[in-house]
Amino acid sequence: MDTTGRGRPRFSWLTDRWLAGLFVSPTLIILLFIAIYPLIWSLSASFTDRTLLSRPDQINSVGFENYVDLLNDNRAWQRFVVTAQIVVPSVLIELLLGFAVAMLLNRKFGGRGVIMTVILIPMMLSPVVVALFWRFMMQGDGILNYYIQALGGQPVLWLSSPSVIPWSVVLVDVWMWTPFMMLIALAGLSAVPKYLYEAAEVDRAGAWFRFRHITLPIVTPLLMIGIIFRTMDAYKMIDTIFVLVGDRGGAGRAAQTAGLYVYDTAIKGFDTGVGSAYGYIMLVVIIALANLLIRQLNKVKG
Amino acid sequence: MRIAKQAGFYVLLGLVLIFFTFPLYWIVASSFKERADVISSVPKLVPFVDFTPTTNNYRDIFFRAETTTGEGSTVSASADVSGFRDRLVNSVIITGASTLLAVFFGTLTAYAVSRFTIPLESDLMFFVLSTRMLPPIVVLIPVFVLFNDLGLRDSYFGLILLYTSFNLPFVVWIMKGFFDEIPREYEEAAMMDGYSRFQAIYKIVIPEAIPAMAATAVFSIIVSWNEFVLANFLNRDAASTVPPYLNSIIGVGAVEWGRLAAASVVFVLPVVVFTFLVRNHLLRGVTFGAVRR
Amino acid sequence: MAQINLQNVNKSFGPGVPLAVNDLTLTIEDGEFLVLLGPSGCGKTTTLRMIAGLERQTTGDIRIGERVVNDLRPGDRDIAFVFQFYALYPHLSVRDNIAFPLKAQNLPTEEVNRRVMDVAERLRITHILKSNPGRLPGGEQQRVALGRAMVRQPQAFLMDEPLTNLDASLRADMRVELKHLQHTLGTTMVYVTHDQIEAMSMSHRIAVMDRGVLQQVDTPLNIYRHPQTLFVATFIGSPPMNIVHGRMVGARFVAGDGQFWVELPPAARQYTQHDKRVSFGIRAEDITVGAPGGAGMAGNVVVREPLGDETVYVVSVAGKTLTAKTPPRIRFNPGENVSVKLDPAAIHLFDGDSGRALLPEGWSKHV
Repeated sequence: MDTTGRGRPRFSWLTDRWLAGLFVSPTLIILLFIAIYPLIWSLSASFTDRTLLSRPDQINSVGFENYVDLLNDNRAWQRFVVTAQIVVPSVLIELLLGFAVAMLLNRKFGGRGVIMTVILIPMMLSPVVVALFWRFMMQGDGILNYYIQALGGQPVLWLSSPSVIPWSVVLVDVWMWTPFMMLIALAGLSAVPKYLYEAAEVDRAGAWFRFRHITLPIVTPLLMIGIIFRTMDAYKMIDTIFVLVGDRGGAGRAAQTAGLYVYDTAIKGFDTGVGSAYGYIMLVVIIALANLLIRQLNKVKG
Repeated sequence: MRIAKQAGFYVLLGLVLIFFTFPLYWIVASSFKERADVISSVPKLVPFVDFTPTTNNYRDIFFRAETTTGEGSTVSASADVSGFRDRLVNSVIITGASTLLAVFFGTLTAYAVSRFTIPLESDLMFFVLSTRMLPPIVVLIPVFVLFNDLGLRDSYFGLILLYTSFNLPFVVWIMKGFFDEIPREYEEAAMMDGYSRFQAIYKIVIPEAIPAMAATAVFSIIVSWNEFVLANFLNRDAASTVPPYLNSIIGVGAVEWGRLAAASVVFVLPVVVFTFLVRNHLLRGVTFGAVRR
Repeated sequence: MAQINLQNVNKSFGPGVPLAVNDLTLTIEDGEFLVLLGPSGCGKTTTLRMIAGLERQTTGDIRIGERVVNDLRPGDRDIAFVFQFYALYPHLSVRDNIAFPLKAQNLPTEEVNRRVMDVAERLRITHILKSNPGRLPGGEQQRVALGRAMVRQPQAFLMDEPLTNLDASLRADMRVELKHLQHTLGTTMVYVTHDQIEAMSMSHRIAVMDRGVLQQVDTPLNIYRHPQTLFVATFIGSPPMNIVHGRMVGARFVAGDGQFWVELPPAARQYTQHDKRVSFGIRAEDITVGAPGGAGMAGNVVVREPLGDETVYVVSVAGKTLTAKTPPRIRFNPGENVSVKLDPAAIHLFDGDSGRALLPEGWSKHV
């Protein structure tokens, strides 16, 4: 290659390739350290009997024992059932309610901008604070029960009855995350070109027909994205429950989800080996779930 | 007919607003109440009518070294040693530092991915994203042990590093979206005019990207500011942040709801202000740039 | 001012992808206005960007003047680039945009101001110097972008489809202006476009590219009259040249099942052989449409397009469709039978395999 040109550049060493490496590597190093290292560590720990405080010489390999024990343990499976009991209703209600509110707000009225932003505040708050607010309102003699009684109902044991606790968690999650679904649904609704509605009107399509054949198909892919985000987050969420009803998921472990079970086993129970194995089972489940949902998303995208 | 429709709309809007804003109102109201008003079994809704507002709770959380939590519970004891003010300072330091780092490194990476041909680029971007799918609880155990060994537990540096890594994927994805929208001709024109790539980046591209970086920073701030799970287990004392502190006040026995409310309001206020600042970027922010309008 | 020379330049965007530019050798003379013309993806923009230094060629050498510039940064090549979307810095005023390249070279302020004013006067944009470029109409943004290029007094201008985003009438004005500007400045100009009218009307020479390969470099008229490849023949001209694929039977070109045939004039016969696969070409203006029974082949009018100064007929001849241009006073209706006569001196023949022209320039002098 001929490089006899006069006036070689001052920063010839700073080529684009060099810069690319320079710019990408810090991020890569940090993420490898904080994501890959723990994953490898957990995987190896999940085949041992190590505890939180084991010295290296006290750790013994146990093969697949932790996994076999967990897969044969009904209580371990029960944690996934509890997780589903909270995740599925939460996401469904958030979807429907969020969409309904978006339909309501998808028009011009005075103060729309401010009202929208106010409604969006809950999702920006710390789950700890949100759970505290609600814990305060859900006290036995709290404001919720006061108004229920004032309207002639029976007080609800929001935070102490095992049959109610999961629904209390759902209520808090719905309060916090419906705005998220609303925001996404609103983006979908405003993306529907107006001329489609006008064309439908010219074709004398009814309101339901327009909703079913114009609005829904355009909004569905976006809602799917919302469902994916919410399902993933709700699945791994532990802080809200932790603060609302305690780190074991409240009375009768009614809201002890898979994530809290890992915490209970590995951190509180010091049983790091088993906890890591359970964490890995969680990971496999979430990857499968994500794949399923993303496949569904690609299907509705056509 | 039209009027009935209008009325129906405003009734529904009112119900929606009450559902989403009442808990916020209730906590703010409670923060200005005396203890008796807070725990009154009949809700005291309207200031000056139902109760006389007081700023005592705010004074207490800022200026009283000890916050009593009833029957001297052991759970809350450790959290009360340094008090709310110190936790607030810790939160500001950790949030600020991790946001700066995440935005700095993340922006560089996003620029590189947007502009240069990088081997395995889509795999890299997927890897970056997938780190966000990890349940924090799975990361927590190894990090706990590692930080224990390295002496990083209860340090600023440990949490800063963790939060930086939490926010990096977000910053990379969002900023890549923004860079993709800035025509590369800007830099190329500058390079034709005698700038090096490096000069073109910091004299042309960065000024263009400042608003996007600011919005991205706000989202990072909110995530770090709010984080609870890792903070609660890793930083229990000197470098503890506000969220674990708030949780720890509710120990056993009677809870000082008034002070808790005041602390919550102080803690939440910056988040609310920031939410208003980035309201036009919210959609993009909360969906990792997956939805842009 | 300088000559620009590309020697065996290749550009690959990765293994498995066809070469973006394939063994390109091209010399652009000092002071020449050369247009790189081709469809999108033909490699013309990549070529321009390699000359600018915005892309690095994979192999081969690029010279500007006497210098090999392979390893020079764009800013050190002493050339100016005008982008399709202008790339005016939104945070700078028009004046600062134009002054930018000079300030980047740290020229003294008086010098900068003098040259900016000089350029602004030449382009008649002195009244908008204080404006924000984002708010200006497209034509004025275009002038500012030109100003930023001119103010450097570079060795060459490189322009990447600079008129594409203007509306039709403005584009016609800017064509004239650009051509005049290049003529008075005398600076070498390399201009990329996919618009053949721009290419024909502005350039000294046109370089036609297709799929990374240089097809032909010549003056606009020669490109039109003597296309060296089938691609150039069909890409240049509106309507495009009529092409019929077939083969030689003796001195005749025959297509389809033998219904369509053309007897080659004797001067053309030596350039082809019996049974060779060839493509036959003729331009619309070289076809005469006349009353039925006249000289030539029998045809039938499919469509008539009156354009005012001329009328375009699409006629069906022995199962093939030909497009002809006639003076407007000749009138036939769709469905009418006509006679179709081809000018024997204006025919083109292309190799059926390689697409190369078979008839050399000037063959028809002997018809």
